[in-house]
Amino acid sequence: MTAARARVRSALATLVLAVPCTLLLYGFLAAESEGKVALVLAGATLAAALGWRTGLLGWAVRASGQGGLALGFALSGLALVAAFHEDPFVLLLLARALIALVACLGLHVQLADAGVPNFAGAAFFGVGGYTAAVLGKGALPHAVVLLACGALAAAVGSVLLLPLLRTRGHYAALITIAFGLLFRTFFEVNESLGGPQGLKLGGLEVLGFHFNDDRHVLGLEWSGYAFYALAALALALAALSLVRRLERSWLGLALDAVRLDETAAACFGVEVARWKIGAFTLGNALIGVAGGLSAMMVGFIAPNNFTFQESLVLVSILLLGGLGNLAGLAVATLIVVCLPEKLQPIQEYRYLLFSVLVVLVLVLRPAGLVRRTARRSFGSAAA
Amino acid sequence: MDLLAQYLMNGVMLGLMYALVALGFTLFFGVLNVIQFAHGDVLTAGAFAGLAGYALVVRAGVQASLPQLLTVVLAATLSMAVLGAVLGRTLVLPLKGAPALNVLLATLMGGTALRECIRLFYPGGSQPQRFPALLPSTAWALGRFTLRLDNLLMLAAGMALVLGVSLLLQRTRTGLAIRAVAQDEETARTMGIDFRRVVLFTFALGSALAAFAGVMNGLYYNEVNFGSGLLLGVIGFSAAVVGGLGSLSGAVLGGFLFAGLQTLGAVVMPFASAYKDVFAFGMVILLLAWKPTGLIGEPLGERV
Amino acid sequence: MTPAPLLVCADLTRSFGGLVALDGLSVELKQGEILGLIGPNGSGKTTFFNVLTGLYPATRGEVRFGGLTLTGARPQAVYRAGITRTFQRSRLCLELSIFDNLAVGAHQQLDHGLYFNLLRRRALARQADATATAARELLEIFDPPLAARLFEPVAGIAMIGRRRVEICRALISRPKLLLLDEPSAGMTADETAHLMDDLLEVRRRFGDLSIILIEHEMSVIARVTDRCVVLNYGKKLCEGTYAEVSTNTEVRQAYLGLA
Ligand SMILES: Nc1ncnc2c1ncn2[C@@H]1O[C@H](COP(=O)(O)OP(=O)(O)OP(=O)(O)O)[C@@H](O)[C@H]1O
Ligand SMILES: [Mg+2]
Repeated sequence: MTAARARVRSALATLVLAVPCTLLLYGFLAAESEGKVALVLAGATLAAALGWRTGLLGWAVRASGQGGLALGFALSGLALVAAFHEDPFVLLLLARALIALVACLGLHVQLADAGVPNFAGAAFFGVGGYTAAVLGKGALPHAVVLLACGALAAAVGSVLLLPLLRTRGHYAALITIAFGLLFRTFFEVNESLGGPQGLKLGGLEVLGFHFNDDRHVLGLEWSGYAFYALAALALALAALSLVRRLERSWLGLALDAVRLDETAAACFGVEVARWKIGAFTLGNALIGVAGGLSAMMVGFIAPNNFTFQESLVLVSILLLGGLGNLAGLAVATLIVVCLPEKLQPIQEYRYLLFSVLVVLVLVLRPAGLVRRTARRSFGSAAA
Repeated sequence: MDLLAQYLMNGVMLGLMYALVALGFTLFFGVLNVIQFAHGDVLTAGAFAGLAGYALVVRAGVQASLPQLLTVVLAATLSMAVLGAVLGRTLVLPLKGAPALNVLLATLMGGTALRECIRLFYPGGSQPQRFPALLPSTAWALGRFTLRLDNLLMLAAGMALVLGVSLLLQRTRTGLAIRAVAQDEETARTMGIDFRRVVLFTFALGSALAAFAGVMNGLYYNEVNFGSGLLLGVIGFSAAVVGGLGSLSGAVLGGFLFAGLQTLGAVVMPFASAYKDVFAFGMVILLLAWKPTGLIGEPLGERV
Repeated sequence: MTPAPLLVCADLTRSFGGLVALDGLSVELKQGEILGLIGPNGSGKTTFFNVLTGLYPATRGEVRFGGLTLTGARPQAVYRAGITRTFQRSRLCLELSIFDNLAVGAHQQLDHGLYFNLLRRRALARQADATATAARELLEIFDPPLAARLFEPVAGIAMIGRRRVEICRALISRPKLLLLDEPSAGMTADETAHLMDDLLEVRRRFGDLSIILIEHEMSVIARVTDRCVVLNYGKKLCEGTYAEVSTNTEVRQAYLGLA
């Protein structure tokens, strides 16, 4: 009886959350002029402020629960893909945002959970991309190729493990910065992998299903990018659920202990190095898979896509979303990826505007945009 | 032999530039315990400020190269001194006490903003810019090695600058104040030292040094690029770390060590010259892994 | 025949540059004993704990604990051998909840397998419940009001409460030896007395817990310790019951400042 009521409550809360979000996103993605984009943004800000003030937002998030939030995310994504089924531009944008979310989740595990900085996110993304470009041409099934993208990114990252374990803070950050710059320069001068011109890729194909082809399904004409967007949605959901579970378990607790106080953690048996290695490796694997999928979708990669700027953007997304806050991360990724595309006049200035924005946030709100909350119980009462 | 001399000259020039950049990092770290990662971009901005100054005096009809040179150097160092102090005031001081990551990201993003400003707003800034040859082009041929007067002049000026900074720190009241703050901020404050002024002066000084290195870099390669500060910044920082952050002689030593290794790499593997930046970044990683707290500085374990 | 001592430290030495913070210290501890460690500021008490728990490698000397040799052992190994500690300057994870902090203390008992944590969520929830129960039991002894605030961040708890939580974190893994570094710092005499009662109560329940207690408050040392070791400049000045050491003239000179 009460279980059924709880379920209804959760479903209701999910709707309260998902419907306005989906509508706002729809409006945002469909807006064709800068004015309309601004209008939708104003609406979103208003809605968020209202939801926050009235407590509705907080209630909805809490009452939906984990399953509800995931379901809402999935349904909202599906609805958007269906609504834009013929619009390759919007679908590509959506897919790119979802793929970036996966990459950011990888960084999140490293930086927000274990406290290991990684300013070479774009480079690991690139490792995934180049792996997909090289292996994708062969006979390997593409699902395996995607896994290989993650594995290779993790393997390349393992080269940095020793330096990273021996250093901390700024020094560790510098090592990753140097690696990111090294990666890009290497691919620019190394002609065997396309040099500065890069490489072309064929599209993703799983079990004979070619993602690049437009097709007629359910009486509708679907752009090929719709299938990529769906694949990205599935990947993002899987990554989200993985990171959620990780954080709400002893694993996440051990990572927290490592991040917050290595010395005290060591005195209670936590193998600090092991946890850092695990988090760094898992994070890079996620970034690598995302990079592989992205490369297959775009059909082309070049060193210029994997600059230090892009790595900085990835880290900044984490910060803007509120370090350690998954929902904030999703929102920030969406905004940072999509906004410049929708506001063409600022395209050219996006790095400049973005860097100024991040600096402002850091100086004016040193504690981050959204405060980190303590982990709630994952005992049986909470499940 | 001649070729070796050429390499040696090149290595010494590089070393001096690295040392000038490293000096800035070490000064900032000394007074404030922070890393100012926009430093490399300050170097680039300095070179471009010099270039802008050059364009102005040329337009004003100044033909002689000595006043042109002076303008370039002064425009670069003075404007970067101001910019450095502004960066210190707006980016670094407000974040004192914030998590290290915040300072790091703020200065990295500040650097990005500088870089983007040059790329977007300097006329033709997105393309490499020719840097005028303002030094006398006298050269002596010693076998196959040409000893160039301009290189010698730059070396002399750079060395003089390094020496000047060390004298400033050792012999003047300002230097004493900087050293006092570096030693112990609290005590320095109670002794009546104006902490903010010392910090801002240090930022101005370090940034001017970087600007000078930027001009040197431009004169040496006859070209500047909006992205070139990134490499110099990373290597300069690593040089400061390897020499022991906070130590002046360490920074200079680290700079020359890096240049030496790079030159060695070029001598041993001339076929891989395209990979020289890859090699440099790889070296940064290896050196940091090998000596995370520097060659000279003693390992500072955490107090429990 | 007396039973073998639980802890034997022989000639333990640690220097920092030229400073010998711990100088040839030899100490033995019997099972179930409460040993007081006293000495003026900077006499090397905390350094002794840091060396014992493997945070600072010893320059010289040996540590044996139970049947194990812990000389040069890493902190993790020391913990697994059954030694836990508190820190002089509280080192809880402030943004984590009380429960999370205690669960870090219980690290050894928890299952950290990937499969278990990611996929066997029911079993994980049961383990979390069991850990919460253990945490509540300990908090009920040391600070009952905190038991109701188990999932609140430690940052919101007053200093005194944090010290108690830190002791609970050290106790939840059921160690054989507990190292307490000035647990009563900042507490009133009443609060200190309570804390000591609680410690004695825990020791009664756990059976064979041994404790080394660093403490500046002499009345506390007099009341709860079986034996004391006095340190001065890293060296052992003397050793014995409180009554013995407190009448020792050397100690009175060095430590109590009395002629
Ligand atoms: N990590 C370290 N590096 C350098 N010196 C240290 C370090 N840790 C402790 N010392 C020095 O060793 C000596 C002993 O310090 P310790 O902290 O062990 O004293 P203590 O007996 O715990 O004093 P207190 O009662 O003040 O806590 C002191 O002189 C201290 O400055
Ligand atoms: Mg102490």
